[in-house]
Amino acid sequence: MQSRHLRNAVVIGAGICGAATAYFLSRRGVNVRLLDARAPAAEATGAADGAVSVASKRPGPMMNAALLGIRLYRELAEAGLLADLFKTRSTFIVARHDDECAVLEAHAAALSGAGVGAEILSQATARGRFPALAPATRMVVEVRGEGHAIGYRIVHRLIAASGLAVDRHEPVTRLILCERGQRIRAVETAKSRIEADAVIVAAGGGSGALLGLAHVLSPRKGQLLVTERAPSLNAGMPGAIMSGRYLMSKGSQTGPNGKPARGIGLVVDPLTTGQFLIGGTREDGGEAGSNDIDAVARILADAVALVPGLANIRLLRGFAGVRMAVADGLPLIGRLPGLTNGYVVTGFEGDGICLGPVAGQAIAALACGENSALDLTPFDPGRFDGLKVAA
Amino acid sequence: MTAPIFRFKGRAIPFRPGESVAAALDAAGVTLLGHDALGQANRYFCGIGACQNCVALIDGVVRETCLTLAAQGMVVVPMEDAGG
Amino acid sequence: MAEIDVLIVGAGPAGMAAAIEAGKAGLRVVVLEQHQTPGGAIFRQAIADAPAVRIPPRVAAIRHELSAAFAASRIETRYGHVFLGIDSDGFVLAEDRNTGAFVTLKAKSIVLALGAVEKILPRPGWERAGVSTAGGLQVMMKETGRAPAGRVLLAGNGPLLVAVAAQMAALGNPPVAVIEAGDPFRRFAAGVALAAFHQHLAVEAFGYLRELRRHRVEWQRGATLQRIERDGEGLIACVRNSAGEIKFIRADRIGLHDGIRSNEFGLAPANARGPLVVHAGDCREALGAEAAIADGRAAGMRVAAALRGFTHAEPRELTRLRQAEAILSRLFAPVETAHPLAALPDDTVLCRCENRNVGELKALCGGADGLTGREVKHHGRFAMGSCQGRFCADNTAALMAHLRPDLPAPQARDLTGTRWPIRPVPIAALAASGVGQAKEQEI
Repeated sequence: MQSRHLRNAVVIGAGICGAATAYFLSRRGVNVRLLDARAPAAEATGAADGAVSVASKRPGPMMNAALLGIRLYRELAEAGLLADLFKTRSTFIVARHDDECAVLEAHAAALSGAGVGAEILSQATARGRFPALAPATRMVVEVRGEGHAIGYRIVHRLIAASGLAVDRHEPVTRLILCERGQRIRAVETAKSRIEADAVIVAAGGGSGALLGLAHVLSPRKGQLLVTERAPSLNAGMPGAIMSGRYLMSKGSQTGPNGKPARGIGLVVDPLTTGQFLIGGTREDGGEAGSNDIDAVARILADAVALVPGLANIRLLRGFAGVRMAVADGLPLIGRLPGLTNGYVVTGFEGDGICLGPVAGQAIAALACGENSALDLTPFDPGRFDGLKVAA
Repeated sequence: MTAPIFRFKGRAIPFRPGESVAAALDAAGVTLLGHDALGQANRYFCGIGACQNCVALIDGVVRETCLTLAAQGMVVVPMEDAGG
Repeated sequence: MAEIDVLIVGAGPAGMAAAIEAGKAGLRVVVLEQHQTPGGAIFRQAIADAPAVRIPPRVAAIRHELSAAFAASRIETRYGHVFLGIDSDGFVLAEDRNTGAFVTLKAKSIVLALGAVEKILPRPGWERAGVSTAGGLQVMMKETGRAPAGRVLLAGNGPLLVAVAAQMAALGNPPVAVIEAGDPFRRFAAGVALAAFHQHLAVEAFGYLRELRRHRVEWQRGATLQRIERDGEGLIACVRNSAGEIKFIRADRIGLHDGIRSNEFGLAPANARGPLVVHAGDCREALGAEAAIADGRAAGMRVAAALRGFTHAEPRELTRLRQAEAILSRLFAPVETAHPLAALPDDTVLCRCENRNVGELKALCGGADGLTGREVKHHGRFAMGSCQGRFCADNTAALMAHLRPDLPAPQARDLTGTRWPIRPVPIAALAASGVGQAKEQEI
């Protein structure tokens, strides 16, 4: 069915948010042009840990969004679209030290209180459920009903299902407003000018320059590692492992000597290939580029402490990505202030894979004048002053 | 003096000092070194450590047999029996 | 201990030459080498008491001179060190195979002399046990002084095949045949040019051919190996000869070779903030040992000069050697002009590590959406496996270009990316390295 409000739309950015928006708009019969400065999933989406998880969330808008995000993945998997790409599994949060136990216990209670299936496992149960786990753990909390998805594969599937051919290597140079400045008339690229009834900016770090958002968005680098296949060790891991320390290390870190600091939040995810994805750092600033031995050695030492069997397999590759974090820790999802047909969806930091599809669904609904399950009030871009499109 | 040997699938494989595990296995007529996690044959291929086709579990560590010098008493296990 | 001025990775011809030159300049030079002896693949040393593989006298003289100078230079060389890359802080990373320990080194300049890898075109069955590269057979022969046993078939393209065949024959087991896609006898102009300008290469080639004739080894020119099938314990090669007839050849081993290319996979471009990084020898441009020595020498001089603030130009010999390489490739130009990957059956393995085939690539390239090399890697897993694309990235990129002539041709680098480790490394070594704890406290 064709939307009553919208005939065509331009989506800027073919990461997970842009691809999801394009997919849900296409499903409504909207004619979509999907542009990317490079190629689909070329930035943060292609260097993500892929957690579709609420395990580390505290009650509040991000937890609510994550629960809806997980539900949408499950629905799209049941509908067949993501059947082979969404792996349902639990997250096991593991405390190795006493100081983590109290935090973890409170966290489990908060999750349960919010209706999340979280349970403190006895030592014996943990051992039985998770043979690969190191014996010397103090507490294990299983968070059920979560999953894992590889960001770039989700993007590829959404684009293919939309029937779109992405305009690659097509950076948008500016948005052209109508005379009264209330509508975006067209987007301009180096090669062309594209008119549209609606424009959705889902350009990650590239959104900053287009929307005057540089003061709101800041880059945060994450380093991740992938191992070779180890099927039998993989079979001994029914879900992802998350270090209890992760709960303490979220958010920005202030380092010594004025250097941008980094937190290491250890997550080990067994992949369907039999490989393991091991992450990661959270570093203020930084260039995507490469990995440093210091971070890699620390991540792997932590990983081996929790899953000793990892010591016997080989590291295949490392990679790093830069995600965009918003000053107040909440993403930007909604209409651009002062514009009737401009929207933004970005700033998810490490939650893009979990939240990208549900955010794209909400933006598509908003652009078509419909309601969505996700309450966008906390994520309204209008909460920041000075956000404006340079005419 | 008897020639030094290492073990591969229960067989004693003789080698000359300085010889790689791959060369000794080849001399013993072993061209199939095992199978990887996808069922592909592990075999000697490039000879310079680039292709990773000739890996086996050598004394508990995944190694290229072409880059590893054979040593007395070494145990070489095909990847399918590595238990990883 | 004094800071390392020049860290050289690889003790093949380029690395040895670079080390000798940088050492002459009075710099502190350290060489890392994955093998236990210097020489690289081309000058691989034989184990004690093994007979030497026959090489042309001119090459033997070059080798002898280089080895003697390297030994005399007393450059600190760490053998059994597998190079893993350079991290974002400029640390050189390696695994010490003697101890299993992880090694990080800092140096003012780095010469990467990682040599070449062979190009291997996929053919149905190339993934079978018993099939190796021809260079792989040669390196083992050099190490052991023993020709590969049983019936050996050599197939592919280029002068290396006849060299390996002649060396095998001299060691007592000539190959059953050499299948060559080109036909140098029909490339008169290139043949004349070789004889006129690079006489020693022509002399070498005729020496090899004489050896083959003496052992009645058939050099089938204008012929291609179509596929390899299993035959009990052995293999059957299906060969199409220059007349277009299909013949079957039984073999125990098959050595493939379709040229060489730089082993520069995964290496990041030099970082302005990091140490000076120079690629040398085949690692920069695959032109063979003689060029590698000249280029390595130039690289050694260049880093020595750069550490003193001026730069050095490419050696003049390279022009001549590049020309020789170009003549050889004209001489050995495949007779068949059709794209060598175009007619492969869909079930031909393209990426051996991840077991991905031609049909899977075609499916990814068939839609309206023109995927980049990186996307093809992600969605098809080409170049994603343990060899990190060394044996499939070129072929995958070439087949993509052939399948989509209207789109810009992807490069191998688009698939492999640039990152470390450039070779898989045991996690135990990294986790035990203690590097992480040294720099900052866990937060």
